[in-house]
Amino acid sequence: MNHSALGLFCLAITLAGYFASKALYRRQRRVWLAPIIVAPVAILITVVSLKIDISDYFSYTHYLAAMLAPATIAFALPIYRERKLIKQYPLTLSLGVICGLLLGLASSWLLTKLTNLPPELSHSLMVRSVSTPFAIEATSSFGGIPELTAMLVLLTGVIGMLICEPLFKVAHIQSSIAKGVALGASAHGAGAAKANEIGRQEGVIASLTMIFTGIAMVLTAPVFAMLVN
Amino acid sequence: MALLAQLKQLNIKHACMLILQVSAFCGFAWLCQILATYIHSPIPGSVIGLALLLALLSLKLIPERSVELAATWLIGELLLFFIPPVVAVIKYQALLEHFGAILITTMLAASTCVLLGTAFAVDKLFKFEHKKRLQRQTAEAPEHSLQTIRATEKVLSLPTPASNSTQKTPKERQAA
Repeated sequence: MNHSALGLFCLAITLAGYFASKALYRRQRRVWLAPIIVAPVAILITVVSLKIDISDYFSYTHYLAAMLAPATIAFALPIYRERKLIKQYPLTLSLGVICGLLLGLASSWLLTKLTNLPPELSHSLMVRSVSTPFAIEATSSFGGIPELTAMLVLLTGVIGMLICEPLFKVAHIQSSIAKGVALGASAHGAGAAKANEIGRQEGVIASLTMIFTGIAMVLTAPVFAMLVN
Repeated sequence: MALLAQLKQLNIKHACMLILQVSAFCGFAWLCQILATYIHSPIPGSVIGLALLLALLSLKLIPERSVELAATWLIGELLLFFIPPVVAVIKYQALLEHFGAILITTMLAASTCVLLGTAFAVDKLFKFEHKKRLQRQTAEAPEHSLQTIRATEKVLSLPTPASNSTQKTPKERQAA
């Protein structure tokens, strides 16, 4: 098979894997069958088992990755739509964003110091708690690698989605705004999806927190990178 | 049959609108990227684009309707767009095999910190901000505000006397 055909084949695998995993989740609503877990794992296994070279894989699928920029711009709509909610609780939301941002950075930094991970990983870890399009923009400030960052961000989302409910129960967090903000700030898109399952209000708050934390991360990353190094 | 044809037509129209709007988004993102490199902005083009679109929407220069289809779709399918970078980690397979276990343990601990820390802080401040809102509203218009307060309490599921009583009702019914 020549390279161009192989590239198209990879694009087809990616699209098929993604839409199949979404269809699966619509039928079987189990946490571990969420598309965020199934789709990347299935596609990764396929690519590895077929021994496809990564440059061939990227030849067409990089158009998909390029859609992250317009997707970032699209976040303007939820901000505009929920302007009323933002005006109602400005303090709570800003505290959530600041807390999430600082705790995310501090926890990553502290743990990489304790475990002495190699620099590629520890630098890519810094931005892990914000949504992928923002994280990929911000990671270069810390010297992180976009691909590793994307994977660590995804893992963070999955972890947050899995641990949130037992944690909320243990810690007696009841108000929906606290649940929403915490999920959005710590587990970005996956957290927002989870929050949406808990309730509509939680979902909206989680998405807003996720967007604002992402923007704040992109804007402040150069400053924090200077502090860390 | 007629219904099916109608449905098909609607779908095609919907798909065309979606493609048109998404292309507009892509073009806009591309322009913002060029702008960002041209003015040597430290802020990436996509975030400039977000701010510009928000400004355009707020000033009512473009109607919400003209972007909502594409925006909803782009945000909804976000996972699809970051699968390729995630798959690209096979370049770092050796690194991940070696540090995978440490990495996951580390991230579990760190995520627990962020989740609990943020939830606690927000919970405390929200109760304070909510109370302040209540006081302000009762001072302004006692009769009208009571209803809105009840409504917000219901929506935000605060443990208040009002929501407690609604929670009790099914139990009382059972008891009866």
